[in-house]
Amino acid sequence: MQRILCPERDDWRVTAEQTGFDFHSIDGERYWDERAYYAFTLDQIERQIETPTGEIDAMCLELVGHAIDDENILRRLKIPESFWPLISESWYRDEASLYGRLDLSFDGRGPAKLLEYNADTPTSIFEAAVFQWTWLEQAIERQIIPARADQFNSIHERLIETWVKLGEGRPLHLAGTTESEEDAGTLAYLEDTARQAGLATTLIDIEDIGLRDDGVFVDLDDRPIELAFKLYPWEWMFQDAFGARLIKAPTRWIEPPWKAILSNKGILPLLWEMFPGHPNLLPAYFEDDPNAARLGTSFVRKPLYSREGANITLVGDGVTLVQQEGPYGAEGFIRQALAALPEFSGQYPVLGSWLVDHTPCGLSIREDANPITGNTSRFLPHAIL
Amino acid sequence: MKRSRRVILTMMGSAAVGAVSMGLVPRDCGPGGLPVLTRDPDGRRREYCRASYGGFGGAPFRFHGHAHAHGHGHGG
Repeated sequence: MQRILCPERDDWRVTAEQTGFDFHSIDGERYWDERAYYAFTLDQIERQIETPTGEIDAMCLELVGHAIDDENILRRLKIPESFWPLISESWYRDEASLYGRLDLSFDGRGPAKLLEYNADTPTSIFEAAVFQWTWLEQAIERQIIPARADQFNSIHERLIETWVKLGEGRPLHLAGTTESEEDAGTLAYLEDTARQAGLATTLIDIEDIGLRDDGVFVDLDDRPIELAFKLYPWEWMFQDAFGARLIKAPTRWIEPPWKAILSNKGILPLLWEMFPGHPNLLPAYFEDDPNAARLGTSFVRKPLYSREGANITLVGDGVTLVQQEGPYGAEGFIRQALAALPEFSGQYPVLGSWLVDHTPCGLSIREDANPITGNTSRFLPHAIL
Repeated sequence: MKRSRRVILTMMGSAAVGAVSMGLVPRDCGPGGLPVLTRDPDGRRREYCRASYGGFGGAPFRFHGHAHAHGHGHGG
């Protein structure tokens, strides 16, 4: 694994905007950054990223199967009891997942380590699936990178294949906070792939979902919502006004309710309990577990519910090294062994390993000058050399 | 992984720039969250995140059907 400096394409901003990727920069700062790329060998991709990604996903599914009827675990995860039946039924009905992203620490040598699983509402899929592939093709054409270069990336076609399977002829609604411009962009991309799979689609703001007297969720034209993709976290769905109506409504949701278990940072200590010593896991404990003392005075403290690095604290030798502010933490915290991210030219990359329909199928990289990857990180492309 | 693959967009991009070219910004609040900029009394700029205005079922007028029985604002 190398970080290789390279010239950027003169016209990449125009190309980005032509494909709908308008959030390539923010406040004049780059989000998309092609002044360098990360290079991997095929062996690294296949043996150290793709295979462990599949293994971790399988362990997560085993964990859900174990947790689903275990009220002690559901309590430890602070999942409200009134939603246990919804979660359990979705699991036993085998409601399918579309996608997810594992965040991994990897330095090219030792095993990749799971930092967390974005199982419910992963974002950055457009730039991972489409724009970094465009970069690869053009960078080869323009001799910026070697002609033999390849990329770990079949996200786009996997999405289309999976929509065919999930759709089963039903119309699809895609719901989210459309006022948020990035959410709108992510929904637009997923809608594009669903249409290519032959599904009839309707975009709707989460606030505009209605409820009929018979308990059926409907859209703005009063059409029943049979199948809905939601870019909106389950823990918020549970708390919102219609949360209590979920259990009786016939709508099938993507991601399904059982993903509420996997989007919780509490899975990190639970995975470590079930698979202690696994090479792709870091030791982790619930903060109120006396065993957390085994981590010593250096660890990462994460809220059970947290996004974009918020409320995460790095503690080294008992001293807070870095702390990200944020609104999370009321439900409690976990502690995870400190796995220092590798440093490449003063930057700390985190690998996002994508799964679509449980198949590992792509890689994205965000790097930051800060060892906690947050909302100021930049997206860099990758290539297999 | 297959250099012969083609990635095609049918709705996004040039044909649908108006629909998605809204100055999309990188994620800063997580899905469903919206950034809010304010100024503290000392004039310093502060940014925080809030949930979408009403959330799932947050707009009470979104009850359908025989609406008279429910009226406005009796959502629950």
